[in-house]
Amino acid sequence: MSLKVLNPNAEVLNKSHALHMNINAAKGLQDVLKSNLGPKGTIKMLVGGAGDIKLTKDGNTLLKEMQIQSPTAIMIARTAVAQDDTSGDGTTSTVIFIGELMKQAERCIDEGMHPRVLVDGFEIAKRATLQYLEKFKTPVVMGDEPDKEILKMVARTTLRTKLYEALADQLTDIVVNAVLCIRKPEEPIDLFMVEIMHMRHKFDVDTRLVEGLVLDHGSRHPDMKRRAENCHILTCNVSLEYEKSEINAGFFYSNAEQREAMVAAERRSVDERVQKIIDLKNKVCADNDNNFVIINQKGIDPPSLDILARAGIIALRRAKRRNMERLVLACGGEAVNSVDDLTPDCLGWAGLVYEHVLGEEKYTFVENVKNPHSCTILIKGPNDHTIAQIKDAVRDGLRGVKNTIEDEAVVLVRAFEVAARQHLVNEVKKTVKGRAQLGVEAFADALLVVPKILAENSGLDTQDVIIELTGEHDKGNVVGLNLHTGEPIDPQMEGIFDNYSVKRQIINSGPVIASQLLLVDEVIRAGRNMRKPT
Amino acid sequence: MKEIVTIQVGSYANFVGSHFWNFQDELLGLADSPESDQIFKSHGLNMDVLYRTGETPQGILTYTPRLVSVDFQGSLGSVSSRGTLYNEIPETPVDTLTWTGPVTTHTSQPLKKNLFLQSLYLEENANLGSSRGCESENSDSHTEVQDEDIVQSLENEVQYWTDYSKVHYHPQSLYELSGLWSEINDFNNYGIGREAFSGGQHAEEINERLRFFVEECDLPQGIQFVVDDSGGFSGIAGEFLENIADEYTNIPVLLYSVHSPDSGMDSRNRKLAISRKLHDAVSFSKLSAFCKLIVPVGLPSLNTSRMSKYLCLEDRKPYHTSAVYASAIHSISLPFRMQPLGPSAQLSNTSGAVNIKDLVQMLAGQARQNMVTILDIAMPAPAFTAQQSLLEILQPLTPEIAEGVEDMQALESMTVHGAFASGCKRATVSEVKDAVQAAYVSAVERPKFSHLSTAQCPLPIPLPFPSIFGNLIGRNGEFLDTPISESASRGSLEVHSVPMAARLRSSNAVLPFLENRLANLRKFGLARGALGTELLRNWGFGKEDVEELGEALSNMVTTLNPASLESSDSD
Repeated sequence: MSLKVLNPNAEVLNKSHALHMNINAAKGLQDVLKSNLGPKGTIKMLVGGAGDIKLTKDGNTLLKEMQIQSPTAIMIARTAVAQDDTSGDGTTSTVIFIGELMKQAERCIDEGMHPRVLVDGFEIAKRATLQYLEKFKTPVVMGDEPDKEILKMVARTTLRTKLYEALADQLTDIVVNAVLCIRKPEEPIDLFMVEIMHMRHKFDVDTRLVEGLVLDHGSRHPDMKRRAENCHILTCNVSLEYEKSEINAGFFYSNAEQREAMVAAERRSVDERVQKIIDLKNKVCADNDNNFVIINQKGIDPPSLDILARAGIIALRRAKRRNMERLVLACGGEAVNSVDDLTPDCLGWAGLVYEHVLGEEKYTFVENVKNPHSCTILIKGPNDHTIAQIKDAVRDGLRGVKNTIEDEAVVLVRAFEVAARQHLVNEVKKTVKGRAQLGVEAFADALLVVPKILAENSGLDTQDVIIELTGEHDKGNVVGLNLHTGEPIDPQMEGIFDNYSVKRQIINSGPVIASQLLLVDEVIRAGRNMRKPT
Repeated sequence: MKEIVTIQVGSYANFVGSHFWNFQDELLGLADSPESDQIFKSHGLNMDVLYRTGETPQGILTYTPRLVSVDFQGSLGSVSSRGTLYNEIPETPVDTLTWTGPVTTHTSQPLKKNLFLQSLYLEENANLGSSRGCESENSDSHTEVQDEDIVQSLENEVQYWTDYSKVHYHPQSLYELSGLWSEINDFNNYGIGREAFSGGQHAEEINERLRFFVEECDLPQGIQFVVDDSGGFSGIAGEFLENIADEYTNIPVLLYSVHSPDSGMDSRNRKLAISRKLHDAVSFSKLSAFCKLIVPVGLPSLNTSRMSKYLCLEDRKPYHTSAVYASAIHSISLPFRMQPLGPSAQLSNTSGAVNIKDLVQMLAGQARQNMVTILDIAMPAPAFTAQQSLLEILQPLTPEIAEGVEDMQALESMTVHGAFASGCKRATVSEVKDAVQAAYVSAVERPKFSHLSTAQCPLPIPLPFPSIFGNLIGRNGEFLDTPISESASRGSLEVHSVPMAARLRSSNAVLPFLENRLANLRKFGLARGALGTELLRNWGFGKEDVEELGEALSNMVTTLNPASLESSDSD
């Protein structure tokens, strides 16, 4: 106990105390999140000290809003958030699963079992469950034309747990179409190529997919057109700002003309760059009434804007870095870093470019593009918390679809847990020797937590539901749970699917954290009282 | 127009910023008010440099700081992060448009607004009332009575930087970091901040906010960046600055790294002390890599500094100490807002306009490319007839500075504003120029080059300014021979403005500051078997990264002191 010697104030919790602290933290976190789970869960409205409202049903968002202090809870929360970062969903399930593992463990430990043995059981059960998952998953063949129906089912399953049905169904198509739009054969899907843009709109809750791009800024010159058809798009990263030369040089002048001349000379290099762009415009728009739009990542100063406006060019400055990539994917052409080698091939094309103004906020729509590989999901909502919630749901939906395409498999919702549990109890347990059997059993029971809580959130009797489900399973049927009636159903018929990778991740990370927490037999913390309630 | 975007990262930086914006708001208010002094009405400063004009969805014009502020979740106290300007009036409390299922509401205890914020709120409502032709007279007299109480309550109760802020912020300005899950005390090193920023959406969101403000600028002159470098926020700022350097290559960044006095180390805990020393070294090296000019600000104690002759500062109150730093930053920022005028404009109220780029060029771009500058202030600045020369009374706010060193190559840029010629007569621009020149001529150490900016307008003291002035300071910031009152400290009710002088100085006096950091990095991070190697690795710095940081620091030392090159080679 060297630390004790060094710092007599350090607090030490040992053995059963430490264990119970961990178990309680895990259970506490589970309690907070469990009412969120599933399509019948509650939505949480958080009102901050200054009256700020946040509305969420997403475990990930909720965890981030919470001021968690217990080190154990933080560990669990980090795992859950990491789960969201890698696979996009399942935060709540992870927390609940860890909590349940700890709960089951508590029961066994109270009966005198050693945590080490328990952990061994968990490990065996985990491996068996993962193997079983491989067998249980429903493979989906993606190929060149993915099965849109399956993707929609997955997206709908996720979205319906976050938004009410009509809204979720509307988003389902949008989300699936967005992912299919950016998908390129033989390449991983980059979801950043879907821009998510929002507008505050008085009464409207509406979301639409824009095949093209929506930028959150507009041109900064009064004479530039607000709407243009048949546009050449120049995507560039070229400074069109006058910069003073680095060496300190003053000018001397004796009359206004001279001064003008001096300023003009200093500006010349900028003007030359602008002129090159205008030359290109004149070349491509010479014998037609096409329009020309510049979207620049760097700045454009007022004199340059002026020249461009006179040449009939629409110019936007300081575009998002990511939009450079998106624009090229949406409109074609290429992003140029210098105006020296401009050719018509650099240009993209959009059928329609127009500006939309809401108060001080401006939006520029680049639409009717030829062959878009980038698109925008435009969310309208009356206030920030509604927008934020839809945004979260859209993100989850997008990742769900992406996962399905990459996994080439899905898992039947609520059926897997029951099936896996029966598999563990009936088959795996027999192959295990000694007391680790109990660990396997505890793990198996913990698996049932998700259907249990879903049933609970739907106001059903959990015991009845579980008995009915396991009974039905033992008859050899694949069963899910109808949350309206509590009857067993065939999830295949209902079309509700989960992501395979999300499930795997939960099964993988849950027991790892739980085992670590269980094997802690001493907690030492200097300088703070940890028994105080958090 | 040459716009500045201001960025404040970290708690203490926001304390400083809050005072800074209060000064600006006070200047704006005084310029419009009929009963204020002529020097405030024609201050000759272009406020558009710092502020932006906007419009709410209802079509009401707004004028808000061009600011991005980053702080902990919950650090805004009773103020909403969206501000109040852009809110639709009746926000229906329960409108869950997205979910038909059950709703549970978790309401945290609403934080009580302090007297000051309450009076602001009342005033605003009264203004709304009076514009509709209702009676507002009696509420006016009502607030008059409260002023002393307000000052008193601020003195005792300030907890959040928003508690004393009278500025309306744009909804894009205030950003709270959520999901850190660490207590403020644990958020104390570079590594933890860096980790918080890189994971998750924070980086993207903050960069978006900055882009929002930069996109509006026609010709941005620079970014004024204030960072609280006492803890994890320097990690955040470091990553943020790297992004800025990447994205806005032509926009120079003027960085103030501020340190609150109480963040001094707890010497009993050795591990913590090492972590702190390494943090200071790493953070300084990292931050300086991505800006054009860095100004370390923050004495270990203001109360015991020479400043305490005229100011009564309590070190443990960030509300007090940040006011001094904010005043200095305000003074330094004045030349950026002056109108550049031709030589014929003798009658103007200002002179010596420079923009951030010129300033950087002037201090760091010439022969000796030293980018670390010292900030000195005189608060209040003495009248020119006083026995002590202005140059002697200037004292550094940068810690670990050598005094009385001779540096033939020193470069300086000074701002003097609102100074008195003698007694209560304000000095004209040319008088200030002459006086400063005379002071330089008679000074012992003379810099190689100095630039002077002056303005007639003194530092206005807004109501929520802390009572930090000593009883030797008069109503307009003049020095008195005899103490004016019994009470030791005087605040905004007694002192209405103060003359100021502030100076940025590129000199080898900053060497000890740099050498300490370099030595600590070598001792704890680089030496064989160093105690901090493991710690640095946890922060995400491998051996090579640390060597690079050390290299950067030692380069800074060699720029100022070429002689150190030989000595450092030997070890």
